[in-house]
Amino acid sequence: MRRNIFGWWAARVGLLIGPAGCAGNQSMFSPAGVDALATLNLFWVMLAGAVVIWFALNGLFLYVTRIHVGKMSRRLAEAVIIGGGILFPLVVLSALLIYSLPMMGEQRAPDDGLRVRVTAERWWWRVEYWPDGATAPIIAANELRLPVDQRTEIELTAGEVIHSFWIPALGGKTDMFPGRITRMTLAPSETGTFRGQCAEFCGLSHALMAIPAVIMEPAAFDGWLREQALPATSSGAGRAVFLREGCGACHAVRGTPAAGRVGPDLTHLGGRTALAAGILPMTADALRAWITNPEAIKPGAEMPAYDHLDESDLAALAAYLMGLK
Amino acid sequence: MKTVIRTLATVAGLGLAAAAAVVFGGLYDVSARHGHLPGVSWVLHTTFRNSVELRARPMSEVPPLTDEMAALGVRHYDASCRHCHASPGETATQTMRAMVPHPPHITDAVADWKPNELGWIVYHGVKMSGMPQWPAPREDEVWSVVAFLVRVRQMSEDAYSDLTAQPPADLAGLSYCASCHGLQGHAPNPHVPRLDILNRAYLDMSLDAFLGELRHSGIMQHAVTEVPPEALGPLAEHYATQAVGPAATQDLDPGLVERGRTLAEAQEGDDVPACRSCHGPWPDRLRDEFPSLSGQHEPYLRSQLKAWRDGHRGGGPLSELMREAAEDLEDADIDALAAFYASLPPARLSPAP
Repeated sequence: MRRNIFGWWAARVGLLIGPAGCAGNQSMFSPAGVDALATLNLFWVMLAGAVVIWFALNGLFLYVTRIHVGKMSRRLAEAVIIGGGILFPLVVLSALLIYSLPMMGEQRAPDDGLRVRVTAERWWWRVEYWPDGATAPIIAANELRLPVDQRTEIELTAGEVIHSFWIPALGGKTDMFPGRITRMTLAPSETGTFRGQCAEFCGLSHALMAIPAVIMEPAAFDGWLREQALPATSSGAGRAVFLREGCGACHAVRGTPAAGRVGPDLTHLGGRTALAAGILPMTADALRAWITNPEAIKPGAEMPAYDHLDESDLAALAAYLMGLK
Repeated sequence: MKTVIRTLATVAGLGLAAAAAVVFGGLYDVSARHGHLPGVSWVLHTTFRNSVELRARPMSEVPPLTDEMAALGVRHYDASCRHCHASPGETATQTMRAMVPHPPHITDAVADWKPNELGWIVYHGVKMSGMPQWPAPREDEVWSVVAFLVRVRQMSEDAYSDLTAQPPADLAGLSYCASCHGLQGHAPNPHVPRLDILNRAYLDMSLDAFLGELRHSGIMQHAVTEVPPEALGPLAEHYATQAVGPAATQDLDPGLVERGRTLAEAQEGDDVPACRSCHGPWPDRLRDEFPSLSGQHEPYLRSQLKAWRDGHRGGGPLSELMREAAEDLEDADIDALAAFYASLPPARLSPAP
C-alpha cells in the first residue's frame, strides 16, 4: 500500500479550505482506498507544482516591475522571458505529466475476482454482485459492500439518464450512461462505512441519491455475500400485507412470489445501513414515512404513495421489512 | 377629421345603447314558438356543418366499426339518445319535435355525415342545439355509437328491438344492466366487461367512481345514473355472487399470450410492474379492490389499458397506483397483456371466505 505522503499537510490545508467540508466519510481528503490515496497524492503534487509556478512567475513579475526597474540587458531580458516564461513552466508541467500518466493505468488495474455492477436509476442504485465464476448475480440495492485490501471491478451503467458514480473516500469519479457500460476498479484499504453520491445532475432528486459503501474484512464480506444470496426469512402479519397490497409488482423479495424489477430488491432490506438510497435511517418510522408519502421525501420518485394503509397494516409492514435481514 | 371621429363615436354609442337595450331590456324574443328570423337558421346550420367538417379527425383515424361495437353502441343509444332522436320505425314525440332546432329523426340525422364526422359530433356535442357532449373525457367509446349510426339507416324496427331487448328480471335495474352485461355477468360481447370474475368490493368501488365522475366512461356514467342509487348495492351483490361462467370463445395469438405472460410476471425489462402481483394469478390473498383480469375480454382489456396509459381512465381511490403502473406501456405491451389475461380461465381474484 502506498503511504499517504502528504497526509499531515492534507489535514492542515483541508482545515484551512473548509473545516467541515473536507473531512469525514465523503471526502477525498480522508482516503480509505488505494485509488483515493493516489488521487489525493496527485492532487497535492499538482497543487505543489501550481504553487511553485505561481510563486516563480509572480516573483519574476515583481522583479521586473518593482526591483529591477529600468533598462535591462538583452541577456537578462531573454533569460527572464525564455527561461522564466517558457522553459521553467515547461519543465514543471512536463514533470507533472510524467508523474501522473502512469496513474491512468493504475486506475484500471485488474480485479481480484469480484465484479460488481451498479446501475443508476432515478434516484437509486441497483447493485449486482458477480463473484468469480458466478453465472447469475446476487442482487442487492442502494448499498455497496466491498472486501478490504482486494481490488473489485465496478461496472457502471444507468437506466434512463446520465448519472455519475463517486465514492470520494475510495476513488475517482466515473460517469454512468444508459445503454453503455463504463468500468473502474476500487481497492479499499480501510474498513468502515463511507458515503458516495451521484455526481452528475440527473433530475429532481439528484441531491437525494447517495450510496453508502461498507468496507468489510474479506471473511466477513464472504459471509455477508453468502447470506445475500439466500431467500428472505422474515414472516409475520406484514408479509401478508406486503403480498396483498401489490408491493411485489415493483419489488422482489426472494422466497416469496414478489418478483418485481421496477424498484429495489428488498430481500435483505433490513440489513442495509440506510433507506431510500442513503437518505433515511433504516428504522421502522422512516419506512412508514417513506411508504405513506415517498414524494415528500424524494420528489419525483416513481413509488406511489400507499397512504390508504391503516395504522396496523403499516406497523406490520414496517416490522416485516425491518425483519428482512 | 374631427367630424369623422365624432360621427364614428356617435354611431358606436348608439350601437352600444341598442345592444344594451336588447340584453338588459329583454327586447330580443327568445320564444321557440316564433323560431328564428329569416336566414338565421341557414347561417347557424351552415356554420355547424362547416365547423364539423373542419374539425373531425381524418377517416384514417376511425377504427374498424364492427358489429360487436354496434351492438354495444345501440344499447347506449337506446338509453341515452333515443329520447330525442327516436329509433328506426319510431316517431319522435310531439314534444321533441317542438324543440328549436328540433332534433332530426336518427335516420335523417346521420344522412350526409361520414363516420369521422359522426364521431366528432357524438364526442363534442353541438352548442346551442341541445346536443350534449359525450359525458366523459374519453374519445374511444364514441366509436361504438358511430358503429351503430352507420348501420341505422338499413336497420329494421325488429332488428333494433332485438338488439336493445332487456331480459326480464325481478331485481330493480337488473334488466337494464343485463341488456349489456347479461343476467349472469358474462355477456359474449367482447367490448362489454365480464362482471362474474369481479368481487363485491371492486364492483362497489367502480360504481361509486362512475357516480362521482372519478372513473371515466360515457356509457357507464350514463348507466349508473339510469338506475336509482339505492339499486346499485343489490345489483353489485347480484353480480358478485354469480358463479363464474365459462371462458368466452376467442381467437388469441399464442405468441402474444406468451409475451404477455412474461410481462405480467415481470420476467422482461424493468419498466413495467408485474401485473400479477395485483391482478393475479397470485398464490396469496390480494386486496379486494383490485380487479381480477383472468378471462376478461381481450378488446375490453386493450381499451382499458390504453385509457390507463393515456391518463384518462380515472378510477377509485387506488387508481393512482394503476395510472403510474401503466404509464410506460407500449401499444405492443398492451396487446400482449390483453391477450395473456384473456387467455386465462375466468376466475375471481380471491375466493369468498
